[in-house]
Amino acid sequence: MEDRPAWIGRSLHRVDAVGKVTGKTPFPGDIDLEGQLWMKIRFSDRVHARIKSIDTSRAEAYPGVIRVFTARDVPVNEYGLGIPDQPVLCGPGSGKEGADIVRCIADQVALVVAETEEAAAAALPLIEIEYEDLPAVCDVLAAMQDGAPQLHAGYPNNILCHYQIRHGDIEAGWRQAEVVVEGEYRTGYQEHAYLQPEAGLGFIDEEGRVAVIVAGQWVHKDREQVAHALGLPEEQIRIIYPAIGGAFGGREDMSVQIVLALAAWKLQRPVKIIWSREESIIGHHKRHPTIIRAKWGATRDGRVVAAEATIIGDSGAYAYTTPKVMGNAHLMVCGPYAIPNAKVDTYGVYTNNIPSGAFRGFGGPQACFAAEGQMNKLADALGMDPVELRLRNVLRDDSITVVGTPLPPNVTLDKVLAEGAAQSGYWNQGADGWRRAPAPPPSGPNRRRGIGVAIGFKNVGFSFGAPEQNWATVEIHGNAEIERVVVRQAGADVGQGAHTVFRQMAAEGVGVPIELVELVGHDTAATGNSGSSSASRMTFMAGNAIKGAAELALQKWREEERPAIATYQYVPPKTTPYDRETGRSNPNFAYGYMAQIADVEVDVETGHITVMRVISAHDVGKAINPQLIVGQVEGAVVQAVGYAVMENLISQDGRILNPYLSTYLIPTVLDIPHEVKPVILEYADPRGPWGARGMAEMPFITLAPAVAAALHDATGIWFDQIPLTPERVVMTLRQHGIDAL
Amino acid sequence: MTLWTHYHTPSSLAEAHALLQSYAGRARVIAGGTDLLLDIRHGHLTPPEALIDITKIPEMCSLIQEGDDLVIGAGVTHTRIVTDALIAARATCLVESCGVVGGPQVRNVGTLGGNVAHALPAGDGTTSLVALDAWADVIVRDERRWLPIRELFLGPGQSLLDPTRDLLVRFRIPLAQEREGSAFKRIMRPQGVALPILGCAAWVRLDSSGERCEDIRLCIGPVDRVPVRAEQVEAAVRGQPIDPATVDAAVAAGRTSLSPRTSKYRATASYRQEMIDVLLRRVLPLAAERARTGQAVPEGVGME
Ligand SMILES: Cc1cc2nc3c(=O)[nH]c(=O)nc-3n(C[C@H](O)[C@H](O)[C@H](O)COP(=O)(O)OP(=O)(O)OC[C@H]3O[C@@H](n4cnc5c(N)ncnc54)[C@H](O)[C@@H]3O)c2cc1C
Repeated sequence: MEDRPAWIGRSLHRVDAVGKVTGKTPFPGDIDLEGQLWMKIRFSDRVHARIKSIDTSRAEAYPGVIRVFTARDVPVNEYGLGIPDQPVLCGPGSGKEGADIVRCIADQVALVVAETEEAAAAALPLIEIEYEDLPAVCDVLAAMQDGAPQLHAGYPNNILCHYQIRHGDIEAGWRQAEVVVEGEYRTGYQEHAYLQPEAGLGFIDEEGRVAVIVAGQWVHKDREQVAHALGLPEEQIRIIYPAIGGAFGGREDMSVQIVLALAAWKLQRPVKIIWSREESIIGHHKRHPTIIRAKWGATRDGRVVAAEATIIGDSGAYAYTTPKVMGNAHLMVCGPYAIPNAKVDTYGVYTNNIPSGAFRGFGGPQACFAAEGQMNKLADALGMDPVELRLRNVLRDDSITVVGTPLPPNVTLDKVLAEGAAQSGYWNQGADGWRRAPAPPPSGPNRRRGIGVAIGFKNVGFSFGAPEQNWATVEIHGNAEIERVVVRQAGADVGQGAHTVFRQMAAEGVGVPIELVELVGHDTAATGNSGSSSASRMTFMAGNAIKGAAELALQKWREEERPAIATYQYVPPKTTPYDRETGRSNPNFAYGYMAQIADVEVDVETGHITVMRVISAHDVGKAINPQLIVGQVEGAVVQAVGYAVMENLISQDGRILNPYLSTYLIPTVLDIPHEVKPVILEYADPRGPWGARGMAEMPFITLAPAVAAALHDATGIWFDQIPLTPERVVMTLRQHGIDAL
Repeated sequence: MTLWTHYHTPSSLAEAHALLQSYAGRARVIAGGTDLLLDIRHGHLTPPEALIDITKIPEMCSLIQEGDDLVIGAGVTHTRIVTDALIAARATCLVESCGVVGGPQVRNVGTLGGNVAHALPAGDGTTSLVALDAWADVIVRDERRWLPIRELFLGPGQSLLDPTRDLLVRFRIPLAQEREGSAFKRIMRPQGVALPILGCAAWVRLDSSGERCEDIRLCIGPVDRVPVRAEQVEAAVRGQPIDPATVDAAVAAGRTSLSPRTSKYRATASYRQEMIDVLLRRVLPLAAERARTGQAVPEGVGME
């Protein structure tokens, strides 16, 4: 059985597929409870202002309105994943210092609860808020200047976090360098645009707990944050996720959880809310816009000997996960290369813009755009094939990273790149190294076509010493024979298929047909802490926990315990934070490795880009369910095409100008690559369950630099700013003398 | 959110008209609803008490050839237009413009009448109707009459029709004769979910020798508050052979006479200006080619 797994490696259909495609599966917005009330949220009208007073009397007098909540109703008026720097409700009277200030338009000021959604909506504008405007700063560079408006006490120059890398001897590196390339890279916002906008239902459960049905990424963390704000013990809070309509990092932070719990608790009645798309786009965080300056040097024979970079990320008005996202970008901005001398400074900066936070890739896409842009420029400057140049520099098992330590064992970047290049059909490995064939001819006279490559690495699991663990329980029921296996695992199925994979791993671990396996999923009342569905970690973490629990339960079964129940906590090897001066650390315990090749056409008249083909190569360690991996690759590539080419969220003076999907354009079926070819490689991670590595963020991270490289191949111009909107492309082409016919 | 209270599906024009009258301003015409329902949801429009659905009125849904004209009901969907062989051959630009509206779902319910009645300066169907010199059969202030299409438009989103009382019934367009042809192109991602950055429709008639442009009608939008003809560009082409020099002259005329504006999130004026050039260079030769050969295969329609 060990060598021929029965359930691992099979493309089983997703357990949630039929329910979802037939519309039977309830998402949070579909669930109703008897006697429920409806909530609408009054968001801030200003980007930076002190609220002097709030008059709710007219709103409360509106027919059907039950109650209006403001800051003074929140017991502990603060929250935040890392730093509790955001008021639950902004306004006077809560006793929390600074909570009377709104710092962005995503701030929530008041909640109207009414018998109907219509009444709540009608009463919302009747709340009279008296603001005293404060000077605002919406430009990240201006925010760092002396004398800029200060958003939070204790963060001079609005610098929320600053990390350094001082590796080797950078001056010596520059002296060795024979070729130097530079760039200033800019990346934009991105909206998660999940299918299901935020929605939820707060109520008092049968045991008197304050319960919230909602979609999130980590039930236990939601519970902790709700309990904190309500001033209640965690045991009195319960969080339940039904089906989750996509997350991508956008549900890591609180949206409706605390306010629903607050209202249900105070009113002792069920309270429901459904955000509109506009509320969703304004009300939750975005991918960090960044400015990255980079300078790299190499010897003539293609060894990168020096890398210097500065990253400035716009955190928006609150911290959210900025310190972690920027920490990740910090690690990845030198690429997956063994560079002996490096100097990096990374900043996360508060502004009065809407908050930035977690989004698939978690700082990786921004850093990779710069790092791979640099590598492609070096290849060009050296006259060397970009695959060849990378293979001369990639991290291997014995290499030291720019944070002074090696990667965990079994580094496979070289294999992933070589396989991806070979299977792309564009590259060949000859006696003198890797060579590329010319790009295929463009499909029209006004079009040009090019090929580009980018590679990357991405951590699996929490980094930098953050507590990391996952609990699973496996119950084996029956007498002589095993009749039923129950696995308790809170890991959020955000649409990636986690619940299917958990069952596969439990069936494999216990050695029973999958039909016997039942899953008890995300409900804090029924499962142990899993950590979040983020950082490509859930298969790895939950898999190890389920495997461990299954082994223990089987042992008890053999010892005749009935039912045989075992709980197991998987704790991976420890990681460490950056050293303040040098950045030296053991940042992560596992990684995924990827290489992408993009074949791109550009209409030089209109600036429209068509991504023709993407070859996406991944070391997934072990494909627990290959079909789901293909789904993740295709989905991530499409989302990344949106990021690289189309998605242009416009923030002007802290306000979002296009909070609709009719004006914030994301890819539709006609915008996506004509072909996405996944290349799935299985070089086991010795620490992963059955050898599996995480993989869900990886196909996103490398796409933008691969597209930019292809565009350079097509036009001879480097595009260092994304999104590559038609307008930006045309203006750049014209500046370089490429005109309409 | 309550979008409406009563929904009526009249089966004749008279019935629809009577219903509108009986609600005295509190009802509104709905066809596919793809514009209307969004307007209500976004709060641009207060929910009307009643919606009067005109898509079951035979006259509104007919497609009839009358001699060298085609009469198209206002309630005809984009999909029906796109799949009609006669329109494809003899009013090609209309198929090309209706074929890029939204995606298949929007085209299956969205109507040509709704596109026109919404009165935006760059509705795709509207752009082609203007270039085709369509006439509209309307009931305005209780009086039924035919109007040149351009007389319908008063401002962005504003037409001569009071959508709580009046009805747009049909369009009449001349079908292409010998030596006539038309074409439409727009600047937009392949599958738009909204109005284009810029759209352009051209109709041309060549002289008997087939060499010179005898007549031309050109509509580019948005370049003004209402859909407009690019008259100076037309003048640069009329009487000339449609060759590269004339196209250059048309582009030059476009540069001086058309001044598109920046819209906050769609495009800047300078990009639009640049794209006027591109569209003229694409559309003029194509329309001329169709006029010369009498052959027209619509391009860029739907899911290719
Ligand atoms: C996702 C999406 C994508 C879109 N993409 C495009 C695009 O690419 N290009 C484009 O041009 N448009 C686009 N639209 C807009 C819209 O689909 C079209 O304008 C469509 O033609 C409108 O027709 P309708 O039948 O749905 O109009 P409705 O929404 O039913 O009506 C629109 C307006 O016209 C009035 N009205 C309708 N019919 C009549 C009548 N017979 N008499 C009097 N008044 C009437 C209504 O009262 C209303 O004010 C898009 C819309 C959506 C939702």
